[in-house]
Amino acid sequence: MTNDLQERDLRHRRVREGMAEAGLDLLLAFGPGWRRENVRYLADARVGGSAAFVALPATGDPVAYSTRRQDIPEITARGWVTDARFLDPAEPAGFVTGLRDSGARRVGIAHYELLPSMLLNLVREALPGAEIVSATAMLDNARLVKSEWELARMRRSAKVCAAGWRAFVDVLEPGLPEYRIVAAVEAEIKRLGAEDNFMLIASGKDEVRGMTPPSARLLETGDMVRTELTPQMDGYWLQICRSAVVGRASDAQKRSFDLFNEAVEAGMAVVKPGITAHEVAVAQNDVFRHHGYGEYCTSQYTRVRGHGHGLHLDETPIIEGNHTVLPENAVFIIHPNTYTPIAGYHVLGDPVRVTADGCEVLLETERKLFETNEVNA
Amino acid sequence: MKRGLVVLDPAEIPEAEWRQRIDRVREQLGAEGVEVALVYGDVYRSDDIAYLSNLCIYWNEGMLAIPVDGEPALLTKLSPRVHTWMRRTSTLTDLRSGKAFGALVAALLDERRPGTLGIVDASLWPTALIDEVGAAAPGWVVRPLEGLVRQFRLQPSEPEKSLLRQAGAVLAEAATAADGLPGQEKISAAERVVRSGGFTDVLVRATPTSVEITGQYRNSWLRVARDASLAERLREAVSTVGDGVRTGAVRGARVVHHADLSTDGEYAGQSGDRVLNAGEVVVVAVEDGGAVAADTVLVTNSGTEVLTA
Repeated sequence: MTNDLQERDLRHRRVREGMAEAGLDLLLAFGPGWRRENVRYLADARVGGSAAFVALPATGDPVAYSTRRQDIPEITARGWVTDARFLDPAEPAGFVTGLRDSGARRVGIAHYELLPSMLLNLVREALPGAEIVSATAMLDNARLVKSEWELARMRRSAKVCAAGWRAFVDVLEPGLPEYRIVAAVEAEIKRLGAEDNFMLIASGKDEVRGMTPPSARLLETGDMVRTELTPQMDGYWLQICRSAVVGRASDAQKRSFDLFNEAVEAGMAVVKPGITAHEVAVAQNDVFRHHGYGEYCTSQYTRVRGHGHGLHLDETPIIEGNHTVLPENAVFIIHPNTYTPIAGYHVLGDPVRVTADGCEVLLETERKLFETNEVNA
Repeated sequence: MKRGLVVLDPAEIPEAEWRQRIDRVREQLGAEGVEVALVYGDVYRSDDIAYLSNLCIYWNEGMLAIPVDGEPALLTKLSPRVHTWMRRTSTLTDLRSGKAFGALVAALLDERRPGTLGIVDASLWPTALIDEVGAAAPGWVVRPLEGLVRQFRLQPSEPEKSLLRQAGAVLAEAATAADGLPGQEKISAAERVVRSGGFTDVLVRATPTSVEITGQYRNSWLRVARDASLAERLREAVSTVGDGVRTGAVRGARVVHHADLSTDGEYAGQSGDRVLNAGEVVVVAVEDGGAVAADTVLVTNSGTEVLTA
């Protein structure tokens, strides 16, 4: 059996264990256009439709459905789900019959909370009397620990993160509009095979309070240009957070970097199996509190101190109050990104894997305040 | 995922037109006896909200509340930290953040006497959210308003047509830049041209012989696809499109309205007897196996104007 199919069997077994615990005889992994991670988890296929499902019964073979015809060969080509069918919301008889044939009595829907009423009505029509419950948490939990197969893919994502950041720094110069930076980064990471990307940006000096989509603002000498750059490779998202200065960094910008780097390292220092997201956040925030910048760790200025990674880019939040336990081989980014009056909003962080005795930093990109004078020298 | 330029420029869409769009919705609400309408969107399907406010749902979900007699309000689970950017890039002044849509809706309705609450395109709303909103509106009648905003988006205004022409030229240039390159290089070249042209979102599909580029420019979507083997068939299909033509009469082609392009028309159905009217913008596509060719065209009284030529 190939590694791919071993991975498929591992996942199906893991999910079916959860189904047995929850008393489910059918799992419907639902993927709306903006949250397809559970479909990918069970089918390993990149789908593009407005809605897709993988129906995994307690025993027997799974069946996939998509509202986009092009997804059908895409799914079957991967070989994880060999029965894939077109779902036409206007002519849904095939979908209804397929579900009806399962005879399910208790159905768990992952991303039930996002399922459009027209599609839920079809499920109810197919399985009248069946109990329907959310299985979102069950799938989130199944995806938390990454296998070696997954980690190999995430390491490829890390290479693309690094290449994207190089493209980012290489293009910076006074007079360039923000959105042209994105164009340069996109061209490079797509050339390397990225499927998608999530990216925020902010340029300017100490007046910058937060991150945004790109604007038409033109870069100026002395600007700090910040980015959260998150390419997706083979389904897996990974993020790099860095800031670069157009020209030479000021003393304040350097001081800001030192503060944020200390916080990143403090977060990394506490990582080990069994640590909670809360504890990783506290370790970072304590650095800000120690230096008198604790108020900038509150929700008034920032949201999280990082977040989980995988088939979704923003999994469990690293934030005080979230007591989710992070086991070995969980992957998340540590980024204490926030505003301070030192040099404005600062962005710095690396994704890490929880190891048996600490953490592995997945990125090779140096953690420093980049300066274009240095890069272009 | 959206990551390109987001901008609000009064030179592109005049302030009066933004006002007019809201007024048309409110007139419809008045005619239907609805006190407040809610428009829901997520990062994948949010064009109605963008059409009414220029707000880009660049991440997560959002809800636009439109009272029949007041200013629209955005309800969002994002924190107030993003309000500055949202105000800068939208026509909205009333932005409300909270941890749950239910609580936000309850607070909004608490300012009014109970009446009828309209759910725009309820069939596409998550059932769980409809339930949450219904629970937050005791005493209110909740009813669906299918297609209420989409109907106004079918025929772009003159300023929108101008933007569509600009966008179509960029897509055509991108298709030319990608032509003949190997797979990933094809995608890379298209991305560079389209994003440098100021698009908000871009989706590129490449096969050994074809490239298909779908992009969002401001709040409109367009598509171009090129494959030499299908060029003649595409020309023939486009030539049959026109005012009064039934979509099913465009032989061998798939016709998707630009108002439905973010979901590729999958939720709108592909009825063959939908009649095209002058002023509408549609994508005409022909496919053969993996090959695809497509243009975005404006239906005119005398035929079509190909926007992606």
